Amino acid sequence: MVETSNLAYAYENGQELSFPDIGLSEGEHLLVIGPSGVGKTTLLYLMAGLLLPSKGKVSIAGTELSSLSRREMDKFRGEQIGLIFQQYHFIKSLNVSDNLSLRQSFPKNVNDKERRNQLTERLGLAEHLHKKVTALSQGQQQRLSIALGLIHRPKIIFADEPTSNLDDVNCAKVIDLLKEEAEICKSSLLIITHDLRVMSHFKNKVVL
Amino acid sequence: MKLGYLAFRNMVSKPLNLLLSLLLLSLSVSLVTFVLQLSQQLGGQLNKNIAPFDMVVGAKGSPLQLVLSSVLHIDVPTGNIKLEEAAAIQKHPFVQTGIPVSYGDNYKGFRILGTELEYLDHYNAELEEGELYENSFEVVAGSNVAQRMGLKIGDSFVSSHGLAASEGEAHDDHPFIIKGILKPTGTVVDQLLITNLESIWEAHDHGEDDHEEEGHEHEENHEHGEGDHHEDGHEHDDDHEHGEDHEHEEDHKHEEGHNHGEKEHEHGEGDHHEHEEDHEHEKEAHHEEEKEITSLLVKFKSPLGMVQLPRFINENTSMQAALPGFEVQRLMGLLGSGVQTINGIALAILLVSGLSIFISLLKTIRERKQELALLRTYGLRTRQLLGLAFLEGIFLALIGFLLGWLLGRLGIWGVSQYMKASYGYALQINGPEVFELFLLGLILVLATIATLLASGSIFKLNVAKTLSDA
Repeated sequence: MVETSNLAYAYENGQELSFPDIGLSEGEHLLVIGPSGVGKTTLLYLMAGLLLPSKGKVSIAGTELSSLSRREMDKFRGEQIGLIFQQYHFIKSLNVSDNLSLRQSFPKNVNDKERRNQLTERLGLAEHLHKKVTALSQGQQQRLSIALGLIHRPKIIFADEPTSNLDDVNCAKVIDLLKEEAEICKSSLLIITHDLRVMSHFKNKVVL
Repeated sequence: MKLGYLAFRNMVSKPLNLLLSLLLLSLSVSLVTFVLQLSQQLGGQLNKNIAPFDMVVGAKGSPLQLVLSSVLHIDVPTGNIKLEEAAAIQKHPFVQTGIPVSYGDNYKGFRILGTELEYLDHYNAELEEGELYENSFEVVAGSNVAQRMGLKIGDSFVSSHGLAASEGEAHDDHPFIIKGILKPTGTVVDQLLITNLESIWEAHDHGEDDHEEEGHEHEENHEHGEGDHHEDGHEHDDDHEHGEDHEHEEDHKHEEGHNHGEKEHEHGEGDHHEHEEDHEHEKEAHHEEEKEITSLLVKFKSPLGMVQLPRFINENTSMQAALPGFEVQRLMGLLGSGVQTINGIALAILLVSGLSIFISLLKTIRERKQELALLRTYGLRTRQLLGLAFLEGIFLALIGFLLGWLLGRLGIWGVSQYMKASYGYALQINGPEVFELFLLGLILVLATIATLLASGSIFKLNVAKTLSDA
């Protein structure tokens, strides 16, 4: 599902960072762990096609990202990739339900209400559908962020530090939730973190 | 979900920004459309009403007032002229037609105009129902009068003295009867009750033998400015303003003492001797045996008349000639500079509102940088993000324009209500005009420019960096 080879990224200051090859098959879960500052987020953005590598290749679901035009890349990312960010990003002018339905609408115009209801039910957001996103608690925002990464049934979910702001109990909960949801939509899951508490939850690990 | 919905939510998510932008935009739009409609409709209305006549001959005074009163029926007359003198003008070789008009009474504020049937032809007024008047005290009613007063064929009414509803008392021994109702003409005729000249004379003329004590009352001296005379109910023709200033103040005091129950008084020839005896100082000034009219509406046969006759009349007679076209042009010229000033102000506000849209978009685009980056990860292309900003700008422009347009029309409606009550003229609430669509186009262009200027950062958006910067 995800394969990288000889991936390297050149920062604006000329410093180049190389990454170990990563391979992840369909439906598999992988943890990429490493201390702060080794370019974990950069690696994630490279894999999501948000940054262009200076060297090496990324291929996702058999498609080599460098072969896609900018426009194709946008579409491909929108359809195939679910991103869960370290900082929560929402559209603040929309309520919870509209944020989810917006995510469904692009790039393919889907309006699957049942999917939204089921997902928010499982993530405990069902009663908050019509709340403004800014009115949600930290934990609710975390779960909405996860929901936004999953709602469109992506082939691969990239999660960036999904547990960094959470206590031990919630950390375990969120990891379980992610694994569970990934399994339900048969997505591959790649988590990038420096959080050692997550280690024990995954068999497949890459250490940066 | 459509981008349009998101653009709309984005727009309303900043209510204060929205309010300011909309306020500025709608203010400028309403100013421009209101003033334009008002001047167009007034100008159109005026020109339509003066079109049938080239010249008005009336008593000396302000030419504008003469035109306003005799042609447009919105001001009080300058006074009366002798029918005999007017007839001389009618016969002038340059004159095609000269129509005498006489008035001074109203029915609930609608003017009763005594004139010849030819007057109706000049305004292309046709009967909706009934027939034209033949005898005195038979009336054809303008469409608006008939509608507003609910007048039907065969109805009769009693006129009141003066030109406004509240003035004077009823001439209740001379009821008018409706013989016909005219089709709407879109001219001043719609606002008039039209009868023959004799009715006006006769309404003010009654058995002098029975009412000799009224002989002292001399209608011609009344100046219309003298409101205190209106209450006594004796006097009428207070429109008559003569060059001479008579000492009639005392006369009125005198007649107010009399309680002879007469609302009218004679105007006729039979009365004048006694009259003159009572008022010796007026003897030479007035030839009461002559019938009087308020003015003569003239259509020239040749354009030469336009050049020669007015000067001739003004210099050689006690009457004055006014050219409606010239007077209305003068009036519109005065209005025009006001219109231009207001348009200038509106344009300035429009530019400021464009600037405010630009600033508010620029601000929201900057504030929403992260949201825009998020949308890029959802698969939206740069072009779609531009579209989002563009839609927001366009929504603002459209709503602002619509609000402003409605506000402008509301203003026209308000003025129309006022004018209806005061002058009997109503303005139309027109649909969008070509110029207004042009204005809308201008605003959309302005909004587009504002959006494009504000959207620079969308092109340069670094998605990865923006998402990582908390």
